[in-house]
Amino acid sequence: MKKLCYSAFIAFWSSIATLLAVQVMATDSPAGEQATATFTLEEVAAHASANDCWAAIAGGVYDLPPYLPKHPTPPAILAAWCGQEATEGMRTKGYGRDHSPMAWEMLEAYRIGDLAE
Amino acid sequence: MTKTMIARALLWVLALMPLLAAAIALPEGSFRNGAAALSSLGRLTAIGGLGMFLVAAIVSFRIPGFDRVFGGLTTLWQTHHLLGAWAFLLLLAHPLLLALAATDISLAAGVAVLLPKSGGTATWLGWGALLAMMAFLAPSFAFFGRPHYQRWKWLHRLSGVAAVLALAHTFMLARTLPEPWDTLMWVTLAAAALAALGYGLVLSRRANRYRYQVAEVARPANNVVELSLVPEGRALSYQAGQFVYLSPLDPGLAAGCGEEHPYTLSSAPGEPVLRIAIKDLGDASRAIQTIATGTEVRITGPYGAFFPDRDDAPELWIAGGIGITPFLARTRALAQRGRAVNIQLIYCVQDQARTLFGEELTRLAATIPGFVITLHYFYRDGPLDGDFVRYHCPDVSSRQVYVCGPTPLLDLARQVVLGAGLPRARFHSEEFNLL
Repeated sequence: MKKLCYSAFIAFWSSIATLLAVQVMATDSPAGEQATATFTLEEVAAHASANDCWAAIAGGVYDLPPYLPKHPTPPAILAAWCGQEATEGMRTKGYGRDHSPMAWEMLEAYRIGDLAE
Repeated sequence: MTKTMIARALLWVLALMPLLAAAIALPEGSFRNGAAALSSLGRLTAIGGLGMFLVAAIVSFRIPGFDRVFGGLTTLWQTHHLLGAWAFLLLLAHPLLLALAATDISLAAGVAVLLPKSGGTATWLGWGALLAMMAFLAPSFAFFGRPHYQRWKWLHRLSGVAAVLALAHTFMLARTLPEPWDTLMWVTLAAAALAALGYGLVLSRRANRYRYQVAEVARPANNVVELSLVPEGRALSYQAGQFVYLSPLDPGLAAGCGEEHPYTLSSAPGEPVLRIAIKDLGDASRAIQTIATGTEVRITGPYGAFFPDRDDAPELWIAGGIGITPFLARTRALAQRGRAVNIQLIYCVQDQARTLFGEELTRLAATIPGFVITLHYFYRDGPLDGDFVRYHCPDVSSRQVYVCGPTPLLDLARQVVLGAGLPRARFHSEEFNLL
């Protein structure tokens, strides 16, 4: 058991180091950093179907169709928020809890701009 | 299944309960593709790991009497080690699995799970808990060489910090079980750990602490002392084969003054003095060889359940070196009782000169009908083997076998008697490998 735990300890730090090294070496900048456009809620509302789905969440605007099939719940649950201000949906998922920091970080990959004030 | 096995199985059920509850509560589709499966496993490992961690904490507070339910303190500690090791493995996997799950979106998302750019308080609490866990487990798993006992003990207190940080992390993020079950489950386990801590460290410690005075220091060998202690107040009540934690309070000691270390009692219950034989095996036990008579010691205990309450079955004892102490206590008790027994003792030592308490054991054996001692000298007989045991104890497989001694002898004895057809349930060993 001692050997197993030691191996796991080494494997853990090796994996973390590998992940960070690959990230540092990756040349493509994350999509989120290019977002400078600003959209109004009316513009967001024009994309209200599962195939053309924008959502306004916590001041950002997100283009979600590539993500919909990856979400854990059935697509219809997310589709209901298409074209809407969906912050509430992010904050109160099943059992009324906020999404995890991981989910929030994942969302950033789909950001296309900011929501106009 | 024996009662102690059932008690230990219940501990595992308690430890695995959060994992089972979470597995049942996982929404449909949690394993429908690679990323979803990684994410679900990432959660399950966290919940399973924390459950085992908290139960490992609950059983770690040594409460005299409580340990007997589980087959003695050393057995309970094996459960503690195993729970702790599994918790560690699962909790190491937890962040990696979640990060890998997020790489399905992008590499940046995966890294951001581990190192969030903003608003990651819960994540950083989790990191704090994991790093604290690595720190306090490093000596336990001998990551960086053999640990120093006192440093290990001190570092292990970081487990409290790890538990608090891990619980905070969990309360901020938990989303797998519906409320109020989620909060209820963690609060219950945390409260049980806290209650065990409070009871084990404060109330029970006070109720099971005794003050004794060193009345006599006998020297059965040049690196072994046997202390005779007389109570200053109430006296400890114990059974043969049990052990205590002893803290010498002699300020003249070169090391270990006020430090507590476990030692087996070598006196028979009912003797007016408490006797403890100590071999020079480390800094503290070396220093105690020069302890002054008239100084005080503090005793906490008793612990352990080496011998059963009923003792009418035929027994084989195998002792190695200073591992004779629990058997010495039992022999002294049997000599007082004077009833016929069916006990074989194989006492393994290097050579005749290193036989501890040999004279006394031979003398006592002569007064106990049915008690036979066989000496095994390593220099003459080589390592203990099946032929030697079967020759001196042909009915070994039908006896209860008790072994106490250094780890190599313990492993050898286990191999020999199990090889001779002894059912595993009848093999009992007392291991002082507490790390």
